[in-house]
Amino acid sequence: MNHEEHIINTIHTTFKSAEAEIQRKGRLLIRLRSDLLPAFVSYLKNYLDFNHLVMISCVDWMEDNQFELVYHLYSYAQKVHAMVKVRLNRSQPQAQTILPFWDQAGTYEREIHEMYGVYFEGHPDLSEFILEDWDDIPPMRRDFKTREFVNENYEWRKGREDAQDVRRTISERYDEKLPQFNNDDKANG
Amino acid sequence: MTQVEKETTLYLGPQHPGITGNMMIELKVTGDTVQRAKTHVGYLHRGFEKLMEERLWMQCFPIVCRICVPEPDPNEENLARAIEEIEGREVPERAQYIRVMVLELSRIASYFLWMGGQAGSMGLYTMPQWTVGDRDYILDLFEELTGGRVYHMYIWAGGVRRDLPDGFAGRVRRVLDYLEERLTDYDRLFFQNALFLKRSQGVGVIDKDKAMEWGVVGPPLRGCGIAHDVRKDEPYEVYDKLDFEIITHEGGDIYARAMVRRREIEQSISIIRQVLDKMPGGPVHNPGPNPLKWKLPAGEAYVRTESARGEFGYYVVSDGSLKPRRIHVRGPAYVHGVSLLEKMLVGANIADVSVIMNSLGTCPPEIER
Repeated sequence: MNHEEHIINTIHTTFKSAEAEIQRKGRLLIRLRSDLLPAFVSYLKNYLDFNHLVMISCVDWMEDNQFELVYHLYSYAQKVHAMVKVRLNRSQPQAQTILPFWDQAGTYEREIHEMYGVYFEGHPDLSEFILEDWDDIPPMRRDFKTREFVNENYEWRKGREDAQDVRRTISERYDEKLPQFNNDDKANG
Repeated sequence: MTQVEKETTLYLGPQHPGITGNMMIELKVTGDTVQRAKTHVGYLHRGFEKLMEERLWMQCFPIVCRICVPEPDPNEENLARAIEEIEGREVPERAQYIRVMVLELSRIASYFLWMGGQAGSMGLYTMPQWTVGDRDYILDLFEELTGGRVYHMYIWAGGVRRDLPDGFAGRVRRVLDYLEERLTDYDRLFFQNALFLKRSQGVGVIDKDKAMEWGVVGPPLRGCGIAHDVRKDEPYEVYDKLDFEIITHEGGDIYARAMVRRREIEQSISIIRQVLDKMPGGPVHNPGPNPLKWKLPAGEAYVRTESARGEFGYYVVSDGSLKPRRIHVRGPAYVHGVSLLEKMLVGANIADVSVIMNSLGTCPPEIER
């Protein structure tokens, strides 16, 4: 039995509700109920040697009305990277802090609180990290419209009032068709 | 004599020659001893992660290399490898060798920049002049290979953009020979300098038992005598076919970290020579679909690289559309520059603050992306 299977079997003896799968060699995906998370990561840290907190990511699944927190843990001894995932309700996102187990988790939680508005229960200092005096919705959420924000808050540099597109000038000169790029919704179809 | 026990707030940065980039450390000091430190960032936030959610996959490559100025290549390599993992695209062997060569060259360039910064923070101002000058020989190679000196946009999904120019390997070897010879000068001027030894030995010590738990990676971790290197732990590209050892040094202080980096320069030179010897022929790119209609299958991947400052990681999530759902960058400075630095500065002398900071290789652009 390899390391990954052994870890999954050990996890299942204690946390029966955890869904674990092997993504590839050295990568584990574990889905979990959000209230079990602090107990689960401390179990991984103390009993299965996952002592390196790589990072905490947040993914916005707006369509499902959910945030997904991904806790990346790495075990140097077994050379296995576990991605522990919990889903939170997007309208009232709340999770428990894992600060007691790793000091550096505090920074990641502060950033996620600022950028997504997830509240971490038990975190002593969820003050602003990168932004300053922000009063809009948290900017990394997918419903935050970057373009609108820019148009409302910034103005074009002098001499760029006509928002001239250089590609259009070139394509007209050489009588070529302008390639349809990316940023409008046509490209999505 | 008793010192007046009055606590003063001292702001170091964001514009300060001892700070590596744009960030600020708020120090509470009594006398010249630091009691508490707090890192403030936000002077450099460009919102790259948000920006990439509205860009095509191909358009992300010119963005990611800007995440770390002194060493942009691990970013490109990470994103490319994450995309290849989600897509299941094969990379030609020659391209993998070229990638290793580029990564190691950029590691040497980054260490040269660090040497200048570390020496400059101690007042040895000859070193920055020399190291930045010598680093330019590597940048010349990059310019010839990629067209860019600092940002290369050379590694992309499926391989690298173009093959080596004629006679390039010979020019790389010539630069390596020169740099290797030059290292003895650096030893005499810096690594054996009495001032450097006095300022670095026993200063800024990281507790060996706590190092892994605190998220220390890269040369600071190996400077504690713990042998972990992503190139060995989780070999990527062709590192498993190359002959090298993990370099460690006991002590956990600034001197140990400096010696790890010093010896890794020699090691990188040896790795590049091996790469040039073993490099096979063949194509350098496995082309994918039209970049304007390039959809990735739904999936996710976490990939990591050993950069000059430690583990660099990318977490890439695709929802099957033309644009990324989420790209999250793990820079080593995110931990080194905030929670670790705040802990290490307690009890330090004010004059040692920028020395400690430089020894961790803090890089603010990757804290705020």
